[in-house]
Amino acid sequence: MTQVTNRELTEATSNPIGMDGIEFVEFSTSKPQALGLILEQMGFRPIARHRSREVLLYRQGEMNVVVNAHASRQPRAAQPTESPVIAAIALRVHDAAAAYRYTVDRGAWPVPTHVEVMELNIPAIHGVGTSRIYFVDRYKDFSIYDIDFVLNPAVDAHPPALTGLHWFGVVQYIGDERTEEWIEFYSELFGFAVLSGEQRYGILPKGRILQSPCKRFYLQLIEPKPGIFEVDPDEMFQRLGLGTPDVLATVSTLRERGIDFVESQGVHSGTRGALTQAYLGSVMFELVHHER
Amino acid sequence: MNAATEYPLRNILDFGMDTISLAGTLPAKLSAVREAGFSQIMISARDLMDHPQGFDAAVAAVRSSGLRVTGFQVLRDFEGLSGHLHEYKVDVAKSMLEMCHALGSKLLLVCSSTSTHATGDVDKLAADLRKLATLALPMGIKVAYEGLSWGRSISEFTAAWDVVVRAGAANLGLGIDSYHIFATRTSLEDLDFFDPRKIFLVQLADFMWHEVRTPEERMSTARHFRVFPGEGVHSDALADLVMRLDRIGYRGDYSFEVFNDDYQQMPLATVAERARRSAVWLGEDVLQRAVPLPEQIRLRRSEAG
Repeated sequence: MTQVTNRELTEATSNPIGMDGIEFVEFSTSKPQALGLILEQMGFRPIARHRSREVLLYRQGEMNVVVNAHASRQPRAAQPTESPVIAAIALRVHDAAAAYRYTVDRGAWPVPTHVEVMELNIPAIHGVGTSRIYFVDRYKDFSIYDIDFVLNPAVDAHPPALTGLHWFGVVQYIGDERTEEWIEFYSELFGFAVLSGEQRYGILPKGRILQSPCKRFYLQLIEPKPGIFEVDPDEMFQRLGLGTPDVLATVSTLRERGIDFVESQGVHSGTRGALTQAYLGSVMFELVHHER
Repeated sequence: MNAATEYPLRNILDFGMDTISLAGTLPAKLSAVREAGFSQIMISARDLMDHPQGFDAAVAAVRSSGLRVTGFQVLRDFEGLSGHLHEYKVDVAKSMLEMCHALGSKLLLVCSSTSTHATGDVDKLAADLRKLATLALPMGIKVAYEGLSWGRSISEFTAAWDVVVRAGAANLGLGIDSYHIFATRTSLEDLDFFDPRKIFLVQLADFMWHEVRTPEERMSTARHFRVFPGEGVHSDALADLVMRLDRIGYRGDYSFEVFNDDYQQMPLATVAERARRSAVWLGEDVLQRAVPLPEQIRLRRSEAG
């Protein structure tokens, strides 16, 4: 009995909002079809459409991607532009309202929600740049998509992932000398922990890697290259990392589907990882060798 | 007018003026400070709200002035409150942070609370400042916490330092104001043990009398009778403070926090010239900084623009 209590206590302190992975990643763009094509080449299938807004849901395996072309009326929101941006990450949590309160009590900026009739209120806080972080607790018995989205007719709502692709993490670009501050942001509000310098993933060994308290995904913080002088570089979620048990097999499968990879002296596809070309001016995916 | 060509090159890059020392409109203040050869200025929230064309015009005036914003002031009576008072102050803090961000300022100055409603529990004070630092973090803003000499429970820089250390937030540091140190006659010895990277701002001012005993006396002197460093009776102590800070490795900004009723009725150029004399004394006689190369000045200017 004591053991259980201790374990529960440890969990409460190390995973304060009961995080359990990523529910979806949201892109904002004024060219949703163009992004949709890239996502389909990457193995995602269009599954559903939002009831009241120009928002589409793509899925493969456990990964949900929301493509949002709906202009927001809220301040500090990503407005759809031709180059897609990662506008939000939705975290699976034990209790969304409690996670929202926990983070706001500690200094997160709440995002006011504008819920239409028959839609769910998904609590959110501001993330890096214009991004948002959503908290979702309805992912086990039924999902948020059952309420807010209408399934496309005659599609498989649960298409399998290509070559075992799964969420690995998100790369965040940050300003000069901002690493310690962003580490604090993610550890204070969510319980992320810094990996030691020796633990590296992928083929781009730079920046600092943080592990989520649920140990289901990673955040990589990358400062500008030394010597590059920019007064205020934009801070943002820059790309998604997808885990795969066999990077080269995934590269080969994706190449057949029309995806190109960066092959330069510094960066090239290997067993540890690979990096796609940037599409639509901004969208790139990093493959990382990772078993689930 | 290009101040660098108007005046012989002097090393005053570390020093800046504060709008509170000057009368008149914001554009007039910006131009007086620039013309006196300064490269930075401390801005108050009131400067932005008093602009006849409104907030956006004020922000545009600052951004196009060529001056770097040393910091934005001041959030008062923030820490130590609970319940609805805490919620109210968090809202005020968020507005201040949004203004600070719009201005392109990387620093928000917070003064220790004078509120009788605030607790003196240092852990609660630290927790509140940690929350403020988290609010400021995504905007790239650092928070400097300063002990007012009439603060309710934190009235010395050593006590403010203790709260900053307890809070343990990367973007929370100390704001030092020489006036308050001299008012409370706090020893500077402890400064030698401070981490200079956690001192985010140093404000300097002198005053005309030797002692200010009561909190009321401290407050009225602070708000009406400060003078620029070297103009009052604490020149040696100011030189000592600046040299100690330099010795421990402080390389941040020094801002002249000079509230003075007389300066409020003098031509701006005259007041700015007094500030310049003070900066030259500190930069060249006290700190003995080398005169910068013209290239360095241009780099700083382009950072500001």
